[in-house]
Amino acid sequence: MYFCNVFVEINRNDVCHFYNMLFNTIEFLLFFPAVTLLFYVLPHRWRWLMLLAASCFFYMWFIPKYILILLVTIVIDYSAGLFIERWADSPKRKRTALVVSVVSTCLVLFIFKYLNFCSANLVELAQHFGWSHPSRVLEIALPIGLSFHTFQSLSYVIEVYRGHQTAEHHFGYYALYVMFYPQLVTGPIERPQNLLRQLHETKRLDYDNVANGLRLILFGLFLKMVVADNLGSLVDKVYATPGQYASGDILLAMVLYSFQIYGDFFGYSIIAIGCALSMGFTLTDNFNVPYLSGSIREFWHRWHISLSSWFRDYLYIPLGGNRVSVPRWAFNTLVVFTVCGIWHGANWTFMLWGAAYGVLLIVERWLRSVHLFDRINSKAGRAVVGALNVGKTFVVVTLLWSVFRAPSFSDLGQLYAALLSNAGTEHLAIAPHIVAALVCFVALDIATRHIRFDRWCGKLPAPLRWSIYAIMLFAIIVFSSVEQYPFIYFQF
Amino acid sequence: MPSNCLKTIKKLALKFLLLAGVLALLDIVYLYTLYPKDLEANCTLMQRSMMPVEQQADIVYLGESSNHAVADDEEDKRFISDMLQDLLPDHRIANLDKDACHAGIYYDILRNIPAESPVKTAIVTVNMRSFTAEWIYSSLEVPLRKEQVLMKKAPALYKRMLLAFKGYTHWTDEENAKIVRNALRKQKINYPVVQWKTASEWDKAVADQMNARGVSDDTISLATHYVKCFACDVDEDNPRIRDLDRIAKLCRQRGWHAVFHILPDNEDQMAALVGPELVDILRRNGQFVEQRYRAMGVTVVNNQGTVRDADFRDRDFPTEHYRQNGRQTIATAIAKTNIFHN
Repeated sequence: MYFCNVFVEINRNDVCHFYNMLFNTIEFLLFFPAVTLLFYVLPHRWRWLMLLAASCFFYMWFIPKYILILLVTIVIDYSAGLFIERWADSPKRKRTALVVSVVSTCLVLFIFKYLNFCSANLVELAQHFGWSHPSRVLEIALPIGLSFHTFQSLSYVIEVYRGHQTAEHHFGYYALYVMFYPQLVTGPIERPQNLLRQLHETKRLDYDNVANGLRLILFGLFLKMVVADNLGSLVDKVYATPGQYASGDILLAMVLYSFQIYGDFFGYSIIAIGCALSMGFTLTDNFNVPYLSGSIREFWHRWHISLSSWFRDYLYIPLGGNRVSVPRWAFNTLVVFTVCGIWHGANWTFMLWGAAYGVLLIVERWLRSVHLFDRINSKAGRAVVGALNVGKTFVVVTLLWSVFRAPSFSDLGQLYAALLSNAGTEHLAIAPHIVAALVCFVALDIATRHIRFDRWCGKLPAPLRWSIYAIMLFAIIVFSSVEQYPFIYFQF
Repeated sequence: MPSNCLKTIKKLALKFLLLAGVLALLDIVYLYTLYPKDLEANCTLMQRSMMPVEQQADIVYLGESSNHAVADDEEDKRFISDMLQDLLPDHRIANLDKDACHAGIYYDILRNIPAESPVKTAIVTVNMRSFTAEWIYSSLEVPLRKEQVLMKKAPALYKRMLLAFKGYTHWTDEENAKIVRNALRKQKINYPVVQWKTASEWDKAVADQMNARGVSDDTISLATHYVKCFACDVDEDNPRIRDLDRIAKLCRQRGWHAVFHILPDNEDQMAALVGPELVDILRRNGQFVEQRYRAMGVTVVNNQGTVRDADFRDRDFPTEHYRQNGRQTIATAIAKTNIFHN
């Protein structure tokens, strides 16, 4: 009844299409159980259709017309898959189909994500040299999750081309593979071998799947709404006016941002995995305690795993991977991480952020070759070195997050100027519940480093398990921010 | 249905039942621990509902910034409600004003006034701008909607959940601009002398004409805002009319006198910038409100046209912020109504 009232109110105001169906909205709290229930009620042959319709509905809730862009990408890559399969005996034609598909899919991404950026930079360059260049800016918003589903779609075509995946002949199933609502807008970026195969399987109602899925959703909501959003309110204050804060508080805000972005993105990923698992689908894990990494290399094995493995398989290895000379490897690494940076957004700060990781990986490889700590043999000594490495990696990652978060170099400059001058007098006041949430997050992250939260929780004695549910539920409802913070990775 | 499937359904149903029990328990915990603090931090409207009891007031004055906006250079900085209090010394008035409020919010405040309060009269400010898209979809509306959630008659934990999961009408500034733009296209004008059929068309025409005459941007902005804020046909489908209907009904049910006072707008500036047609439309809408609620037994004080240009405080936006003479005129008109003297 109460839910109905909410919807009546929304419809009455005639602004439905302006609502985002984020995972942390009331709309999604209605959408998710309805879709899951329908999924199990319907016979297998109708499920793909229902899931596809639900995914379209989910996507169209943002900006309806942008589904056409998605449709274009789907049609291109679906057809390319069929052509590649048909021309299996003709390498040249097969390659042509792949190139056409990759270029046209990337073109869509370029137009919507990078065209304005390129145009603005060309204008600036022209002004710098005194040339005349008309400023053309397209009045378009970036379709939500474009970079994610573009990469997922490309993954399919490449896998079919490599012969690792048979082409999908059923257009509906292929469209569902690209549009599967839990991971449509922010991943995890799935491979066809994993998701497409599962979409064909008959899923039966399984208690463990539903229970584990719901546990993950609960944990994800906790991370997003209690940890990330509350930290976001603190971080935003400092980043908006860094000059007003003392250096210690700016550093604190930088550290808090590391946890905000982790809680935010990990939260989204885990909700997505939970939603899919409730229907029996297993999605790729996207994070594995990244802040316990002892090196930058390890960090990228643990952070946004579905993206880093995508770049590894489809860019790094085709460029030669490790089996090339050191200078060539260094060049490849720089290219991969610069592209990874620009994938996140059309901004020089993202490019710098990505390139910096490339440089760090090169430096790290060189340091490894120097064998700095090889003489330390004792267990305690190695533990200290390990802890120092974790600390060092966390500091580097945190410093680079400040580049990632800055809207421009001038903002970044202001932040570091304020940090170095220590001229500000204001201090961050962190409420006790935020500290408690952060401590819980870190503790749970460490506790679940070898086993995912849902399974870890499932093994606990029932009273303890239900106490965790109750605490998390209470925290989500009572301690979540009343301000709206969209998921950070939605902008990509 | 296979038996193992039935078993799973039973097991899940049992767990959901247990979850419902946990939520009920959490609701009690919340109600007696953090809910009062949440109300204090996020719901000033609720505090306003309590004021008539705390102040033992027999009259409540519901308004927006028109009540408390005063100019810095004024000697008399009394609000309209203060002036009214001075004019009605035998009564005690509780001022429940809040920026950007409108009839929808007033209704919630009135509904939440405890039954044991001594209230006998509700004076409700009717701002004619509040009937149009610029106000209905204003960015100031979102915080009010958020406060409204906590005023619902529902379990405390459920209301907090609505806040947490954004279960209220909300929009960002960017979305707000789009919503207003769309709404202005639908804001119909049915007035024979005016050739434009919607506020959006008229707005554009005014801007084009003024641009052609080389009028300054500030003046164009002011003129077009007058069009956006007043060019509409107020009818019974307007959300504010529905809210005022609910207020009239609530007052009847509670045995309170309802006084709706229609605020004057700067008709002199409006006529000079846009033309007398817009003033006619405004007056016509005011008469619609007056007649509708008189017929329902509400005391309506129509102050339209009573305050002249010199007594308006703001010069760069159509507001209902008056200088002291303007506030005094309005207060005097309300105080003169029969219900305070019988």
